[in-house]
Amino acid sequence: MLKKFERLVDLAIKEGFDKAEVFATAQSAFSVSVYEGEIEDYRVEKSAGIALRGLYGGQMGYASTEVDDENEFADLVRRAKENAQVLESKDEQFLYDGRERLSWVSSSNPALETVPPERKIALAMEMERACKALDSRVARVAVSEVGTTSQSRVLVNSEGLFRTFEENIAYAVVEPVLAVDGGQVDGTAFLFTRDFDALNAQALAREAIEDAKRYIGAAPIPSGAMPVVMNQRAMQSLLATFVGVFSAEAAQRGLSLLAGKEGETIAAPIVTLTDDPADGLGLAGRPFDGEGVPTRRKNVVERGVLRTLLYTLKTAKKAGKETTGNASRPSYHSTVGTSPTNFYLEPGTLAPEALYAQAGNGVRIDAIMGMHAGCNQISGDFSLAAKGMRIENGVLTEPVEQITVSGNFFKLLMGIAAVGDDLWFGFPGSCAVGAPSVLVDGLSIAGK
Amino acid sequence: MIARGDAELILTCALRTGGDFAEIFYEDLDSGDIALMDRRIESANRTHTRGAGIRVFKGTSTVYAYTNDLTLEGMLKTAEEAAAALGSAREGGEPVRLFTAVPRNIHRIERFAGDVQSKRRADVLRLCDAAARSLSEEITQVSAGLMDEMQHVLIANSDGLYITDTRVRTRLRITAVAASGTENQTGTQAPGAQAGYEFIEGLDIEALAKAAGRTAITMLHAKPCPAGVMPVVIENGFGGVIFHEACGHALEATSVGKGNSVFCGKLGQKIAADCVTAVDDGTIANAWGSLNIDDEGHPAQRKVLIEDGVLKSYMIDRLGSRRMGLPMTGSGRRQDYTFAPTSRMTNTFICPGKDDNEEMIRTMGDGLYAAKMGGGSVNPVTGEFNFAVNEGYLVRDGRIQEPVRGATLIGKGADVLFKIDRVGTELLTAQGMCGSLSGSVPTDVGQPRIRVKSMTVGGR
Repeated sequence: MLKKFERLVDLAIKEGFDKAEVFATAQSAFSVSVYEGEIEDYRVEKSAGIALRGLYGGQMGYASTEVDDENEFADLVRRAKENAQVLESKDEQFLYDGRERLSWVSSSNPALETVPPERKIALAMEMERACKALDSRVARVAVSEVGTTSQSRVLVNSEGLFRTFEENIAYAVVEPVLAVDGGQVDGTAFLFTRDFDALNAQALAREAIEDAKRYIGAAPIPSGAMPVVMNQRAMQSLLATFVGVFSAEAAQRGLSLLAGKEGETIAAPIVTLTDDPADGLGLAGRPFDGEGVPTRRKNVVERGVLRTLLYTLKTAKKAGKETTGNASRPSYHSTVGTSPTNFYLEPGTLAPEALYAQAGNGVRIDAIMGMHAGCNQISGDFSLAAKGMRIENGVLTEPVEQITVSGNFFKLLMGIAAVGDDLWFGFPGSCAVGAPSVLVDGLSIAGK
Repeated sequence: MIARGDAELILTCALRTGGDFAEIFYEDLDSGDIALMDRRIESANRTHTRGAGIRVFKGTSTVYAYTNDLTLEGMLKTAEEAAAALGSAREGGEPVRLFTAVPRNIHRIERFAGDVQSKRRADVLRLCDAAARSLSEEITQVSAGLMDEMQHVLIANSDGLYITDTRVRTRLRITAVAASGTENQTGTQAPGAQAGYEFIEGLDIEALAKAAGRTAITMLHAKPCPAGVMPVVIENGFGGVIFHEACGHALEATSVGKGNSVFCGKLGQKIAADCVTAVDDGTIANAWGSLNIDDEGHPAQRKVLIEDGVLKSYMIDRLGSRRMGLPMTGSGRRQDYTFAPTSRMTNTFICPGKDDNEEMIRTMGDGLYAAKMGGGSVNPVTGEFNFAVNEGYLVRDGRIQEPVRGATLIGKGADVLFKIDRVGTELLTAQGMCGSLSGSVPTDVGQPRIRVKSMTVGGR
C-alpha cells in the first residue's frame, strides 16, 4: 500500500509538480442501537480515501478520491494540477521535510478491536433496561447505542516525510424520554473511551435519568443581567464553538478579534487555556499534525495573557514564527486547516457549589443550543437558547428552561470571576475541548 | 455502477438470514469547491467519492453496512456482514429479480459547473469581492465560494426496483465582514439550486454581494437587541427556518414513528392557527431541496403538511412507513452512502396568506422586525426550538426603527404555530443545509412575511 502512495507521489513529480504529498485515511466503524429489547439499527462501516496535494507554480493544488485504483491516479494528478493553476495565493506554501522520530505512532487499543458484537449489543440492551428500571415514568428510550470506530492515516511526501498514526474509540450513548404532566422530557448521557470496560450501562442510565428528571417542571425566569454559572458542559460547548478564534489563519485574514493580541491580556488572570496533544486527556491527541509536524503542549492563554495563536507552516512563516504543530486535516478530503488537539480551560480548585455561593442570586446554565447559528465567530457575539437551574441565596433551587443567554465570547473570557474543579471533555472530533464550570458576571438572560 | 445481475446476487445474499427487505444505494459523486479570500483565489479542491451501502430490514430492525470496495466480491462480503447481524443463513430463499426503472427528470441541467473553466468561475468570485467592497471602507474582508456537485445514484431493492438518477447542484456563498477596529460583523448570501452553471449566470452577482455587505455594515452600527417577550414580524425567504425548526422536524417519521414528537397522533387535528398552511414539495423544478427520486428510489412528492391549521401529513421514509403503517412520501434522504436514509424535508414552506405586509407592522405596537434569519435547531421531543436573527430592527409604535444585533428567537413548536396571527402574500424561499440523523442534506425553507403575537427574544 505504501509503495502505491509513493508511486502516486512519483507520478505527480513526473507530471510537473515541484513537490507532492499523499495523505490517505482508512476508517471502520461498528454501532448497534436497541429499542424495546430488540436490535433496531446495526451498522458496519468501512471506507478509505486518498488525497494528493502538491506545489505547482508555487501554488498548492489538492484533489482526492475514494476510488482505490491506480487508473484513477492520473486523474488525481490532473485535477490537483488544474486546481493549482487557478490559485493566486501570495502565501508561501510548504511540504514538511522533518525526519524526527516520533515517540508514539498509535492511540489504538488492540483490545478494543476484539470486543465481539454480542458484548456491544448486550451493553445497549442493558442501558435501555436500566433506564426503565430506574424510573417508572420512562416512556421509551429514544437512543441506546454502543459503537466503536477506528481510523488509520498515512502521510508520505517527496521531501522524505513518512508518518502513520492509528486510533480507536468506543462509545455509548443513552437518551431516555420521560412522560410527565402530559408532556415529555428527555435526558442524555454518553461516554467516549478507549477502554470498553469503562462503559458502564448502569452509571450511564443513572446519569441520563438524572439529566431528564432535573428539568421536570422547568419554567422561564424573569429577563435581566445576572451572575451566571456556566456549568462544565455549557462552558465546554461555548469554548468548542469559539475555538476557531485562536487560529492564526483566522487572525491573519481579519476573521478573529485576537489578531495582533499576542502578549496581551485577553482573559481574566485565573484563565489558562492549554493545548495538550498527549493521549489520554480528551482523546484527540496525536503525535503529528496535518502537515506531519510533531505536536507539542503549550499554554495558548496563560493567566489571562494570550501567549500564542495556533500556527501551521504557512501561517507561521507569514508571521515570522515557528509552527505550533496545529495544522489540521480531519479527513482525506480536507485541505489543511488549523485546529488545537486536546484544548481545555485549566480547572481551578473550587467545587461547583462554591461557585453557586459566590453567585448569590442568578442562574446556572447547563446546556446551550443552536450554536451553529447563534454564535458569531467573527464578532464573538452569542445569543443561545438555554436551560439550567436557578441559583437563589447561593444554592440551586428550581429548574429553568425557555431562556436565552447572550453575551460576547471575548468579554466573557475577561469576565470569568471563578473557575471550578470539574473539568469535562466533550465529543472528540478533530479536536477535543474541555472546560470546568465557571462563574461569569454580566451575561444577559431573556426569559419571561 | 453495479450491474443489474450483480445487484440481484448481492440483494439475494443480503436476505439469506431471514431479512424481509434489502436495498443497495450506490453513489458516485464528483464535487468541487473554489474559494476566494483576501481578494485572491485561495483554495480549489475536487473530491471523487464512490461507495455503496447495503440495508436489510427484518420488521423494524435494520442493518446498514457500507464500503467503497465495489467489486462483486467486496459487495457480497458486505452483504454477508449485514445479513449476519440478523441471524444465521437459511436455505430456500427466493432469488431477487430486478427490473430497470427510469425516473422522470424534473430538473433540466444545461451545464455542469465543474466543467466550466476555473477562470470563469474565479471571475464570479472576484466580482463578489469587488461589489461588496465597493459599498464602504468598512468592508474589510470578503470570502466567496462556488460549490458544484454531480451525484450519480443507483438504488436497487428486493421489491425489484433498479433505478438510477443524477443530481446536479450548484451554490454560491458570499460572506462580507465589516470591521471597526474593535468589532466585526458579517453578512451572508448563499443562493443555490439543483441546476448547473446556468444558475450562476442567471444571478445578479453584484446585487447579492452588496446585500451581504449591507447586512454587515448595518449590523456593525447596530446596538445589542434588548431581551424580552414581544411580538415579532419575520420576513419572507430564510425566515421560513422558523417553520422548518418549530414544526418541520417534528413532522418527520424519525420523530413521529417512535412517539418522540409533540405532533404524534395529531393527524386531522388543529396544530396551528387558521392562517397557517404549509407544504413540503420535492418536485419544484431546479429547486435546491428537490429530487427526482428520493434516496430510497421513491418519486419525489408534494405534500400538504398543514392546511388551514389542521395537520394533514407527516414526512415518511420506508422505515417510518413500516413503523407508522402509513405510505411513504418520497422523504427518504441521506447525505451520502455513509448514512442510512431517514425521513427528511425537501423544500418546506408556509404558503401565501392574505395579510398585508405593512398592516402587520403598523398594528404590532412595540416589537422586533426580523429581516434576515440565521439557522436554528430543535429538540423534537419537547418541541423547543431556537434560531438566530442575523439582521433585526426594533419596532416602536408600529414603525420600524434602528437595527439591533444578536437577537435569538426561542419557543416551543406546538405554541408558536398557534401564535402566528398574520401571513403575508409574497412567498420567497431560501437555501440551507439541514442536519439530522442521516447527515446534512440540501433543503429550501420559505414563507411570506409572517407575524407571531409573542415570542421570547434573547438579547442583552
